[in-house]
Amino acid sequence: MSAETPAAGAPAGVRPLVAERREAGMPTPLVGMLLFIASEVMFFGGLFAAYFNSRATHQGPWGPPHPAPELEILPVALPITIILIASSFTMQFGVWAIRRGDTRKLKLWTAVTLLLGVVFLIGQLYDYSQLGFGISDGIFGTTFYTLTGFHGAHVFGGAVGLTILLARSLQGQFSARNHVAVEAISMYWHFVDVVWIALFTTLYFLR
Amino acid sequence: MATTTLSPRAESYRRSWVLDWLTTVDHKKIGVLYILNSFLFFFAAGILALVLRSELAVPGLQFLDERTYNEAFTMHGTIMIFLFVVPVLAGFANYIVPLQIGAPDMAFPRINALSFWLLPLGGLLIFSGYLFGGAAAEGWTSYNPLSNKTYAPGVGTDLWIIGLSLVGTASILGAVNFIATIFKMRAPGMTLFRMPIFVWTVLVTATLILLATPVLTAGLIMLFIDRNYGGSFFEPAAGGNPILWQHIFWFFGHPEVYIVILPAMGVVSEILPVFSRKPLFGYKAFVFATIGIGLLSFSVWAHHMFTTGVVFLPFFTFMTALIAVPTGVKMFNWLATMWRGALVFTTPMLFAIGFISMFLIGGISGVVLASAPIDFHLQDTYFVVAHLHYVFFGGSVFGVFAATYFWFPKMTGRRLNERLGKIHFWLHFIGFNLAFFPMHSLGILGMPRRIADYSPNAGWTIYNLISTFGAFVIAISIVPFLINVVATLINGERVGDDPWEANTLEWATTSPPPPYNFDRLPPVRSERPVFDLRHRHVDEPGHAIVAETEAQP
Amino acid sequence: MRRFAAGTRVRSVLRVAVPLVLIFLLGGCLMPPTPETTQARDVFNLYILVLALGAVVFVAVEGMIVYSIFRYRRRDDRLPRQIHGNTVVEIIWTAIPTVIVLVLFTFSTLTLARTEAKAQNPLTIEVDGFQWQWTFRYLDANYTVTGTPTNPPVMGLPVNQPIRLILKSNDVIHSFYVPHFLVKRDVIPFPPGQPLNQLEFTVTDEGTYAGQCAEFCGDLHARMTFTVQAMSNAKYQQWLADAKAGKSPPPAASVAPGAAEAKLVAKGIAFDQQKLEVPANQAFSLTLDNQDTVQHNVSISKGQQVLFRGELVAGGKSMKYQVPALPPGDYVFQCDVHPIPAMTGAITAK
Repeated sequence: MSAETPAAGAPAGVRPLVAERREAGMPTPLVGMLLFIASEVMFFGGLFAAYFNSRATHQGPWGPPHPAPELEILPVALPITIILIASSFTMQFGVWAIRRGDTRKLKLWTAVTLLLGVVFLIGQLYDYSQLGFGISDGIFGTTFYTLTGFHGAHVFGGAVGLTILLARSLQGQFSARNHVAVEAISMYWHFVDVVWIALFTTLYFLR
Repeated sequence: MATTTLSPRAESYRRSWVLDWLTTVDHKKIGVLYILNSFLFFFAAGILALVLRSELAVPGLQFLDERTYNEAFTMHGTIMIFLFVVPVLAGFANYIVPLQIGAPDMAFPRINALSFWLLPLGGLLIFSGYLFGGAAAEGWTSYNPLSNKTYAPGVGTDLWIIGLSLVGTASILGAVNFIATIFKMRAPGMTLFRMPIFVWTVLVTATLILLATPVLTAGLIMLFIDRNYGGSFFEPAAGGNPILWQHIFWFFGHPEVYIVILPAMGVVSEILPVFSRKPLFGYKAFVFATIGIGLLSFSVWAHHMFTTGVVFLPFFTFMTALIAVPTGVKMFNWLATMWRGALVFTTPMLFAIGFISMFLIGGISGVVLASAPIDFHLQDTYFVVAHLHYVFFGGSVFGVFAATYFWFPKMTGRRLNERLGKIHFWLHFIGFNLAFFPMHSLGILGMPRRIADYSPNAGWTIYNLISTFGAFVIAISIVPFLINVVATLINGERVGDDPWEANTLEWATTSPPPPYNFDRLPPVRSERPVFDLRHRHVDEPGHAIVAETEAQP
Repeated sequence: MRRFAAGTRVRSVLRVAVPLVLIFLLGGCLMPPTPETTQARDVFNLYILVLALGAVVFVAVEGMIVYSIFRYRRRDDRLPRQIHGNTVVEIIWTAIPTVIVLVLFTFSTLTLARTEAKAQNPLTIEVDGFQWQWTFRYLDANYTVTGTPTNPPVMGLPVNQPIRLILKSNDVIHSFYVPHFLVKRDVIPFPPGQPLNQLEFTVTDEGTYAGQCAEFCGDLHARMTFTVQAMSNAKYQQWLADAKAGKSPPPAASVAPGAAEAKLVAKGIAFDQQKLEVPANQAFSLTLDNQDTVQHNVSISKGQQVLFRGELVAGGKSMKYQVPALPPGDYVFQCDVHPIPAMTGAITAK
């Protein structure tokens, strides 16, 4: 049976209005990405709430368990923060480039963003190795590694997305009119960046 | 030009229908898969309920030991909520929402398929604990520290966590899909305030899922880290706080209650007008009440925690009781819809009326529980069990059956037998009240929930016996339903496209609808486009059917 | 309605009587136990108020549903008047539940303020919930009683004297619940430094009241029962003295030096061995090394008869029991606190 059989009673040749529908406003994939990000905000909201709740009910000084040193923003945390913020800018340069139809710049900026993301991840793993406490060392260790670990997992997910983006742009799949995937990935990347800024502020400054 | 955009890829080769269903991205087939899968889990969890009720019929341990009993009620609660009520309503929404807004499919068909297939996977993982030394046995709320590694060393609890995370992910993806579909795929003329109420309730439900479920996922992950990686989120000795779990769980858990009930309210709000032959009374008030319930649901979670002694009681009492206002508005709207109507008592209508009369009891007992001093007595007793079943079963499950009888002709082209349907309804209604009304008394007399055994001197035996009897009546009521479905599929009455003389767009296409749903759409000028189409001549003078139509606001 | 003239009176009587009978029957099923504390009486009155409000709403709404069903069934093909709404009516029925909610909230808050008020110089008892029983510590009287699932404890209380319970748990969450007091409070293992939950009440009537854990706490949750026995102050003092006297340690069996020794390790709510062998007709020592955080003991029985019941050993402690001689045969040993398969085993004397 052909899927094109007209609905009963409909005069042949009258095609539905659906086809004439114009895409108005934001493209559907971007709406989907925004909604997905909303759910991610709630996910991190839950983790942050756990952090603040634990801190509020905690007895004694809050911070890395003895004898590990206090968290320091140097030499690692501040540089990787700057790197991740910078990557948000490079991502956006890529978006602006493809909106103008400049595919060469898109490839360039996507590659740079991906590189910065990878550097961030490596930096974070190095930082972990230097901290001197683990996830099972008390409530601070648990919240610290859960929050930063899940953020790191999201950066990794974003890096996978960027890799796909780069591969597709190298194949010339994007143009000024058709680049919704670039917009979607960039939204996600900015979100991950914002989460890190919140994390960095919470863990390193609001002590 | 229109043809090219719309026409699906012509099928150049034949696939087996099994492969076709397994790989489908058509929202209608996925909807049917959702419904079938949910009913399978419903029967599994229902059998567990019969086991539980049999054990409780009289004092003493007859069939089960405590451990088995605890596993059974944990699985019963988890499966019923996460793998029956929520997904079955999502299944109806999947089938009906695109039709009702005049869309060819969901916004993201492949994600739609993914969010369905995660469900059986998650459900089987949750059940698979039985194969690995025992299923989770901490209750569907899985309170910490009872659920940490020391007190629940079995792998069943880990499987429960993983399975539930998958189910949660599935419903988040589904929610993204529903919201995007409703905002981006509406037919021309289908403004927000012309959307069928069912679509509105699905929209609010999806928003609740989108915002509440990730918090549960976060909590499940913390629990998993505590159990398996030495974390101490909920570990008091290491500086964690077991109450945190309750906050997280109920921050999700209370919106979950409305996730379960709102779509059922939507179903009822579709059915009552059709069989009262009147529009829904106070459409806009109903929409705002739905949104109001959605908003309030995020500010009442701690009423599950009154007896913990660590929550601010007046605030949560007030907010909880406040939910009675929009709910009351809805109740009055339904009554006014029936008032001065021309009521036809088909099976879906019976289930819809059953819904409002039973949900009312659940609503009243909810307000009783909202009062903190009374809750100190009734919390964690069978009164709560009665209350939640009047909401989930008397509310949502009645809604599910109303939806099944109402939309079955749309899905199959055949109408379920009315006689068997009415037998089903009456057995169901009587069995339901026999099973759950006595639980109010048990709770008021002080019988705690989740106990495998009780003293013969407590005075609870007679109520337990009645309740167990009622549970079996419910089970028996399913028999005519199943016979009805099978017999109708084989040899049911073919009833055309619009057997109920209904109002909304799904009745403007064939039964079952073709792929991509519509060949053409009637103009949408109100929330009842098909009604308008049928009665467009009432404005013409001299027509046989006399109707008084008020101007649309 | 002329046609029904003969039946009108019967009908109108029925119309009033049937709901009244129903309310009476349902109301009877919905009455709490007699309240036995000052606080419970307050809650009882509040409950009656709420129940009455609920009954009014129930009867009004269900009545309208039933009326509509009979009055407005479809009789012909005429389309009823298409009414889309009425703003005035809708405002009124938004206001009705709002008023009910405000009344309920006001009375709840007032009741709460009274029932949660703290008393001066109450009799203070520390209630320890553990898997799966209770310990009651009379802090002012130096008396402690610990129950087992087979032998639940009794909390003796004087009437007309404020009681304060301090609720403490070292394992999972429990809930102290006495239905006749219309109250429960969770017994929570709070992190160190956080204040413990308390519960205050004044018992008004002498009597014996059943109580039980209300928060699901694992395998033997159903067996965390206890009894509250309320008595006059004089009787209470006597009860306390008797209870303290009955608490003298059991006479130790004499064990010859070099007698047989057996050892059990309790860890993760389980014994390390499920089979023990000891010489018959000869007293022996049995060491219980409790490596859990909760308390355990060992008792030895044959059938229904308990031959030996060891004292409870707190978490992290070890104790050497002196067990009297056993005739040859097979016996069962178990932890009375956790009579689950993992804490049950066979002991053979030969």
